[in-house]
Amino acid sequence: MSEATLERGIKALKEQIDAPVASFFSSCVHCGMCAEACLFYTETGNPKYTPISKVEPMRRLWEQEFTLIGRIKKLLGLSKKITDEELSEWQELVYNSCSMCGRCTMVCPVGNDITYMIRKFREGMSAAGHAPEGLIGATTRAIQIGSPMGVKFPALKAQAGHVEKEVGFEIPFDKVGAEYMLLMSSMEIMNYPEYLGAVARIFHQAGKSWTISSEAFEATNSGIQIGTSDLARELVNRIVEAAEKLKVKTVISPECGHAYTAIRWEGPNLVGHPFSFRVRHILEVLDEFRKDGLLRTEGFEEDKMTFHDPCQLVRRGGVIEQPRNLLNMVAKNFVEMDDHGKMNWCCGAGGGVSANEDAHELKLTAFKRKKAQLDELHVDTLVTACANCRIQLEEGLEVNDMDIPVVGLTEMLAEHLVETDSKQG
Amino acid sequence: MTGTANDSEFRKQLDDLSLAQQRAVGARFVHSVKDLTDDARIDVAIKVAQDSEANNDEIHSAFKSARSAVLDCYTRCGADADWATQASYFVARAASDVVMPEKEISNNNPAWQAAMHSRMARTCAVIDTDTTEEQQETEQQHRILDHFLND
Repeated sequence: MSEATLERGIKALKEQIDAPVASFFSSCVHCGMCAEACLFYTETGNPKYTPISKVEPMRRLWEQEFTLIGRIKKLLGLSKKITDEELSEWQELVYNSCSMCGRCTMVCPVGNDITYMIRKFREGMSAAGHAPEGLIGATTRAIQIGSPMGVKFPALKAQAGHVEKEVGFEIPFDKVGAEYMLLMSSMEIMNYPEYLGAVARIFHQAGKSWTISSEAFEATNSGIQIGTSDLARELVNRIVEAAEKLKVKTVISPECGHAYTAIRWEGPNLVGHPFSFRVRHILEVLDEFRKDGLLRTEGFEEDKMTFHDPCQLVRRGGVIEQPRNLLNMVAKNFVEMDDHGKMNWCCGAGGGVSANEDAHELKLTAFKRKKAQLDELHVDTLVTACANCRIQLEEGLEVNDMDIPVVGLTEMLAEHLVETDSKQG
Repeated sequence: MTGTANDSEFRKQLDDLSLAQQRAVGARFVHSVKDLTDDARIDVAIKVAQDSEANNDEIHSAFKSARSAVLDCYTRCGADADWATQASYFVARAASDVVMPEKEISNNNPAWQAAMHSRMARTCAVIDTDTTEEQQETEQQHRILDHFLND
């Protein structure tokens, strides 16, 4: 690592210390409540995973550069300089052991948004060359290919071809004037193509026009995860341009947590102007269909089931009631985990954690919190609405020898649609 | 008897089969794409699905093994797509379809699911090439079903 890169990183980090970050540092009362809210701390017992301590180098920089006492200490040579080695050591804390789930923010008694601080710290870490290889690769592919997993449009078309045979009608691509534009995550294209089939069947029944852009089908935004706003902006811009070109009214974020935060909440700020279209999560759209009588289901699941709230939906987005409204349409025996909705525990793999291979063991350790929640309930089925959560839940359950199938909510609803003439081979 | 002409007919014929028959013919679809994986758990699933006398414990055990195979080869969020590995993923999913315990099957036809996942596996294997292997797999499945119905 060159001095120039470290210097650039520290400069970038200084630029990230805005008024909210400064006020958060100055108001922290060191109570430690954020530790008990973080599953990386609760499941390991290691104090280094206390959320506020994960931004310690940024706190020191704030103190040295923006406080009187800190400046005096710096002048007298009493403050500790931030070094490249230190930032390297911090990579694990900022990227591997934080899923940016936001639970720490919820419990902070002085209202510090620690997730926001981590997001800012990642900007500096990325500029200093300390982002993890996995996320660098994902971001490079997202910019160069359009997908963090390198999924090209022909691959989506091929999967869509199979889905068309399954549902019996065409998947609409590049339809100008469609009401909705569906985004997909590469995870869904590669691992869960049945999601696309479920959406197709629901929209067909609802009689709503929709489309997928061949130029911007990817929802995930690794620029947000790695902490590089320029790249995050570029990825959001592609979606904005596609949505405007197709003249859609609503862009649908898929069953992916951070993609929703990226496009709906950070998106307009990143591009610097309001969108000319709405952005909604797929569950919000389906709940609108429900309210309008456009989602007609029949039959009920008899299994005892619970819902894992994706953190970005509930804590950053407020999508709490919608999945429950939808579950009530098809589930007779739905039970809640003790901590659910806005206080739900993370699966352990969000915020880019799953992209980092060296975080694999830690994320499965973090899963023990979810395991404990499920052990209390003895459910037959676990429902969720995020492909990344889903794979982590499936893997965590497998590792812990828990025989609980995990299903996507959109797919479950599609299974209960009142049969029309559409389902032909 | 004339051969299965299209997927509509193919699906209807699969729907008309009993669950044991659906498992058995589904296993043949999985066998047809077995060249895309070297995972021994797939062989176990095929064997159990073709055994009309397999009991629930054997089916459940084969299902668990096949699910493990699925989780061993999925693509992590943000990882570079390795389509060969992804082909193994869909073979494993097809294998788990044919040994899925009855209570988890829901409205799905295991043979149709296995057929679709097998095709997806073939698609993954040729995704970066301009070949007709995927269509060939569909036609092969139609032939497999014809043979099965005539056995």
